[in-house]
Amino acid sequence: MASNILSIGQSALAAAQAGISTTGNNIANASTPGYSRQVIVQTAAQSQNFGYGYVGQGTQVSAVTRVYSDILAKQAVNSQSVSAGINTYSTQLSGIDNMLSDAAAGLNPAMSDFFAGIQNLSASPSDIPTRQTALSNAQSLVNRFQSTNDTLNQMRDGVNTQLTSSVALVNSYAKQIAGLNDSIDKAISATGNQPNDLLDQRDQLVLELSKQVKTTVVAQNQGGYNIFVGNGLPLVVGTDTYALSTAPSPTDASRLEVAYQSNNKTTVLGSDSLPGGAIGGLLQFRTDSLDPIQNQVGQIAVVLASTFNTQHEQGLDLNGKPGGALFNIPAPAVSSSSNNTGTAVVSSQIVDARAITSSDYRLQYDGANYKITRLSDKTVQSFTSLPQTVDGLSFSQASGTMNAGDEFVIRPTQNAATLISLAITDVNKLAVGGPALSSTANAANTGSSSISALTAGSTYASSPLASAIGLTYNSALPATFTLAPNSQPVTVTSGGTSTTFAAGTPITYTSGATISVGGLSFVISGTPANGDKFTITPNSTNGPGNNTNGLLLAGLQSQGTVNNSKMSYSSAFGQLVNTVGNKARELKVTGAAEAKVLDMATAAVQSESGVNLDEEATNLMRYQQAYQAAGKMMQIASQLFSVLLTLGG
Amino acid sequence: MRISTNTLYQAGISKISSLQADQAKLQQQISTGKRIGAPSDDPVAAARALEVSYAQGVNSKFTDTRKTATTKLSTLESNLTGITNLLVSTQSTLVGAGNGTYSDKERANIATELSGSLQALIGMANTQDASGNYLYAGFNTATKPFTATATGATYAGDSNQQLLQVDAQRQMAVSVSGDNVFQAGGNDVFASLSNLVTLLNTPITNAASQAAFTSGLATAMTSLQGSVDNVLNVRASIGSKLNEIDGLNTTGSARDLQFSKSLSDLQDTDYASALSDLSKNQTIMDAAQKSFVAVTGLSLFKYM
Repeated sequence: MASNILSIGQSALAAAQAGISTTGNNIANASTPGYSRQVIVQTAAQSQNFGYGYVGQGTQVSAVTRVYSDILAKQAVNSQSVSAGINTYSTQLSGIDNMLSDAAAGLNPAMSDFFAGIQNLSASPSDIPTRQTALSNAQSLVNRFQSTNDTLNQMRDGVNTQLTSSVALVNSYAKQIAGLNDSIDKAISATGNQPNDLLDQRDQLVLELSKQVKTTVVAQNQGGYNIFVGNGLPLVVGTDTYALSTAPSPTDASRLEVAYQSNNKTTVLGSDSLPGGAIGGLLQFRTDSLDPIQNQVGQIAVVLASTFNTQHEQGLDLNGKPGGALFNIPAPAVSSSSNNTGTAVVSSQIVDARAITSSDYRLQYDGANYKITRLSDKTVQSFTSLPQTVDGLSFSQASGTMNAGDEFVIRPTQNAATLISLAITDVNKLAVGGPALSSTANAANTGSSSISALTAGSTYASSPLASAIGLTYNSALPATFTLAPNSQPVTVTSGGTSTTFAAGTPITYTSGATISVGGLSFVISGTPANGDKFTITPNSTNGPGNNTNGLLLAGLQSQGTVNNSKMSYSSAFGQLVNTVGNKARELKVTGAAEAKVLDMATAAVQSESGVNLDEEATNLMRYQQAYQAAGKMMQIASQLFSVLLTLGG
Repeated sequence: MRISTNTLYQAGISKISSLQADQAKLQQQISTGKRIGAPSDDPVAAARALEVSYAQGVNSKFTDTRKTATTKLSTLESNLTGITNLLVSTQSTLVGAGNGTYSDKERANIATELSGSLQALIGMANTQDASGNYLYAGFNTATKPFTATATGATYAGDSNQQLLQVDAQRQMAVSVSGDNVFQAGGNDVFASLSNLVTLLNTPITNAASQAAFTSGLATAMTSLQGSVDNVLNVRASIGSKLNEIDGLNTTGSARDLQFSKSLSDLQDTDYASALSDLSKNQTIMDAAQKSFVAVTGLSLFKYM
């Protein structure tokens, strides 16, 4: 009997010891990230029948388990990736937000100075220092556009770098999780017990992984984890891993996209197939904010430069020559997909700057139709031939042949702000005087017709008219105008259809049609009478006090020009600032809300699995007392034994 | 709910750090005087402030242009005053010229005086501004507009007037062309004076030449009066433009004030509320720190 009592005491002693060391381990790991508190599972030992009944045989520790809830952990993982995604997006965007808030770095002060310079020119059109200041202000404006775009390009490079390091982290986590799957499987098969610390480590890795990318865990029966990222791409299956990588976009080599590796095949993933986590946040920032913002800055640059050039071309410079372009405007960037099988080279030009949008365009050929997609709102227009004009942009095939499935991306404005430059350095060439051309109707005309003001095209300055051109109406059907001199071909455009008449041929008259000759254009409308005459005169003398075109140039500042002449340059910029501000604010607010959700999810996990030191102190005391009580019991057993020995002696 | 020791610390820290962030923000608003640090602080107000300050810049540029216009018009005005005086004094000289008792010699003296006036007038018509531009040359400001001839003066300028954008919707002519001042309405002041000189230098020998002199003098006097009237008209229009500029300046500065006020409303810190927020924040921060120390200071281990 006494030996039985001794072994009961011994079992209690051992259980208390196990309890104390488990408690000690909890205390030691109270602040270890990912640690789940452990408890011993204590059961009564099999009791023994002594005839009069079953007598207990002490206690035993059947397991040490961690306190862990799958559901709570899953919530934390989900919340973590959502929160990390928004935080990354928000951090990136705040860079732009802060840049725009800087009064000195915004576009407005530079635009304001530029137009002030032009207005000063109107007051002293021939003053050389005033001209120099106007030209310097134009250069400062170009520089401001460039530096703004450079900052945005640096952010673009930053996204590439961060994507690369995030992808490397994802791959490293995947390998570690697969390794732990293996170790955990082996540990369970060998001992039948749960390796708590390995499980914690693996769960912590899953949590870390979810900071980089949206992570879904599917637990297997034998304890392994299968991990899926994004919208269900397998990353870890048992002990096998698949890898993410970065690869240049097929239509833009400088843009890294995330790709998925399986069976030695690399598939570039679209930006919306990897939501959540730092990777999702970066991709979303680039697609939803950086691209449109950079395009809008470029759009303002293109529209300002182009509308200014058009007006500048109507004037006369200090030498009495027609004004040329003030700004060089880059042509839209066209990139052909690296997957194209044809040899076609596509070219695109800005036809009407006021009509352009800030969107990029995709041109696809399916063997029969050319599909032009405006990427900002996915509006598709289909054509059976090229060239075509969409949103003020021309699309044409410059050379080669196009195969079905070939694809081109046209970016009219993305880098325009960096690529624009000043076209003139000679202050005398600022065309403040003018106009370069004037039109008159002969006073003796008897019909009821009129000629519009003349518009000099972009090529006019390089080969201006040498002498006046007279146009005489001949009412004999078909009604025509005869030009004198008639050394140049004439193009007549009416209702979108252009007809070119060879030099020397009378041109058919259509009221309201645009008549283009020698780089200039005009409209004659109404009903002329036979013999009615109009004259187009090139002006070549420009008084130094002439500021006619200067006033018109300065007037552009407050005109609607951008987005089909709906907005002025500065209100287009204001709208951009507003858009960025709104998005940044929205991200701050949702970021704060998601952080709260994450806090609550983490607190819930901690509430279940976290160590509470007061609780451990209580456990410590409990096991200490159990240990002391067991010791006392063994002492009593020993005394009982001594009594027996005394009886025998 | 069971609270882990980690949560206890985490919750305390995150509350204190969010209070610190609020404090930094308030501190920034107070020290810069600006409520909006970045557009995201108030996107609508930030964009609006941008537009208002741009409009204010444009408005103040018009103020500059009006200064230039005032200078140009005042220069014209003072020059035309001199011209008016010259012409009026010429007229009073001529009043005596018709006197029948004057001898040919006396008329020749008047002719010499008039010839001097003509030279002076041509000089004044060729006045240049501070930058060397001729005032009465139209756009041809670099070319001397009037050259004396035997019968008066020829005009080398053009009929253009320089316009300036003095307000958003107002372009104002700030120059007058010489032909419009001196040779308008068939009254060429130079020709009139030149004719008078010839007339006064022609001796009166008989009744016929007396009659020719009398009628010639009357014609010339009428023509000269027409020229004086024309100069006075030009002066009147310049005077009314200067008045208009005064008016535009008044509305311009009123607009500027309005823009400044809008900007201030949009982006300036409301000190009363910012300071009160800061003090409230400090009170909460104080309490949060104290309670954090108190809560984390409790431990069963102290009693073991």
